[in-house]
Amino acid sequence: MVENYRHLYVIIELEDEKFLPVSLEMLGEARRLLDDFNKKYSTKEKVVAVVLGHNIKNISKQLIEYGADAVIFSDSPELKDVRNTIYTKVISQIAQDIKTLAEVEPEYASEIKRPRYMFFAADSIGRHLSSTVLAELESGLASDINKLVIEDIEMSHQHKTAGKKETFAKTLEMYRPDFSGFLWTTILCLDNRNPAYKRDYHPQGCSMIPGVFEPIKPDSSRQGKVIEFVPTIDEQDLKVKVLSRKIIESEVDFDTPRTIVSFGRGIKDDPEQNVKLVEQLAKELNAEIGVTLPISKKPYVVSSALDSKYMIPDRVIGTSGHKTSPLLYIAAGVSGAMQHVWGMKDSGFVVAINPDEEAPIKDECDVFIKGRMEDVIPLLIEEIKKQMLVVEA
Amino acid sequence: MGLNVAVIIKLEPDFSEGNVSYNPDGTLNRTETKNTLGPHSAIAAQAAFYAKVMHDAKISIGTMGPPIADLALQQAQQISDADELHLYSDRLFAGADTLGTAEVLKTGIEKMQGKMDIVFAGHRASDGETGQTGPQTAWKLGFTFLGNVISYELDLETRTIRAKRMVSLQGTPDVIEEIEAPLPVFISIDPAFKSKFNTVSQRLAFQKYQKAATKKAKNYKEYLKVFNGKELGVDETLVGLPGSPTIVYKVERIPKSTATRQAEIIDGSDPAQLQKVVGRMKEALSAMVIK
Repeated sequence: MVENYRHLYVIIELEDEKFLPVSLEMLGEARRLLDDFNKKYSTKEKVVAVVLGHNIKNISKQLIEYGADAVIFSDSPELKDVRNTIYTKVISQIAQDIKTLAEVEPEYASEIKRPRYMFFAADSIGRHLSSTVLAELESGLASDINKLVIEDIEMSHQHKTAGKKETFAKTLEMYRPDFSGFLWTTILCLDNRNPAYKRDYHPQGCSMIPGVFEPIKPDSSRQGKVIEFVPTIDEQDLKVKVLSRKIIESEVDFDTPRTIVSFGRGIKDDPEQNVKLVEQLAKELNAEIGVTLPISKKPYVVSSALDSKYMIPDRVIGTSGHKTSPLLYIAAGVSGAMQHVWGMKDSGFVVAINPDEEAPIKDECDVFIKGRMEDVIPLLIEEIKKQMLVVEA
Repeated sequence: MGLNVAVIIKLEPDFSEGNVSYNPDGTLNRTETKNTLGPHSAIAAQAAFYAKVMHDAKISIGTMGPPIADLALQQAQQISDADELHLYSDRLFAGADTLGTAEVLKTGIEKMQGKMDIVFAGHRASDGETGQTGPQTAWKLGFTFLGNVISYELDLETRTIRAKRMVSLQGTPDVIEEIEAPLPVFISIDPAFKSKFNTVSQRLAFQKYQKAATKKAKNYKEYLKVFNGKELGVDETLVGLPGSPTIVYKVERIPKSTATRQAEIIDGSDPAQLQKVVGRMKEALSAMVIK
């Protein structure tokens, strides 16, 4: 069988000459997936790390230790800053350059046209880059993935197969949690086999949520190829000039505080009053305040001061926001959707305040205080005032 | 030379209380939930309005959706004082993923009056949440894409834009990057964008255009053009389901993870029990003091 598509390409991100954690996480997941894949299909497809930047030859090699079988790097002063147009062009060139593809695996040099799979980070850079690269390659992608499976999928689809039953071998099942956190949607990127509009859609792309997957332990004995790709850079693709970069301090800090108090849709009976109660509770505990994703969509009317301070994406705890691990986590009116739980499950001691014993948060806390937050928090504050003075010190 | 600005927007579920409806299992009840201009689309319209107030820009708005999506166009016109509204509506477009949607939007933008200098899109839709449609439309248009823009200024003499972008990466502090680029550009606007009108003349212009916007939005149908696939002249194999590489294979409830903790359930109205809880909280917090 002719193999036009092989390998899993991982697009690596660098900041300050360091790999972003998500890049190493993606490599780890790529390694695990392809080890199983190669066993299952008795083949030798590769994990290929792709990295762009300036003066990066030396650090590119390290990606082998983190699970890559090959590294393709492009080194140019024009690639020092991440600029969407030039990055999109160079990554797309790498994905289609026959000579580079042949270097990755000489045995398939005459057949291979493109990578089979492509991973990006679902962050400020990777989200847009994945979109434009896959638009350039005219293939598909899914964003914000937190689980991946490779399967042979037998299906009939009105459009993809014109209703005929067909098998799509080696298909990447891309799982993304939806905004509610209760539903998982599986996205597939499939070739059109419908004779009316036959088209190949490869690579199958996705962007992966930072912090979800585990990197592998770096192993300096791992061997791999390091391949330099010299890109064709057109003046037209260098129109954006980066004038300055300024680091800003976030007003929200989930790393230092020992306590985080978060709230969710349970504030609904009296949003304004309940947010104020959460504020008071947080003040007593010297805590930072977090919210669930639905709250950041501003579903309730509260004063504009409270709204712009608390009901914001920056405070979201969960897969769409921050991962936290304070000593004490208090979840008030939080149902416990998986996407939120991911952001708080490493906390030391977890207290939930919720009137509904069936809420999933019950399985994620150490103490479940049954009751409405408007009733419980005032009593709790009173107790804290009595007991906690020492802790402040 | 004038300035032509386009905005692409989306009709989305209204997540505000009273309009949003959830099923008993916590998922969104789409039939009961009302629809509205998406919040990120609204910010994109504000960003376009800034160009109107500062530079008397001509604004065109486009959306792909069912006939009722004209509601979103009207709301966006009210925000931006748009002069032209486009609705791309056809059964052929239904079920499109971001690539199939971008093809329609690209074709629509090219049909707008005047050559566009800037196209604005929201950060992401609040229901789909992929954030991919904007950059893919930009790429198909061949426009320079600028993501996460929180503010911008234009120099119409040199036809350049200076913009600040927010770059948030895992494990590093946020960075504000200032960039400069020649027009045309495609901007996806960050939720942190805020228009600032500092001078008296800017504020007067703001009021003038706002009044005009209200008047236009009342008669929005006069500004509205509806296009089906044929009128738009799209390649039918590049839109809707045929033009979509991806499909939704299955939707399932995220399985409840096995309980990671064994919760002690206590009665929230019993001060004696709360007293014990606070005692345990205190213990948890003091644990770290011991080194």
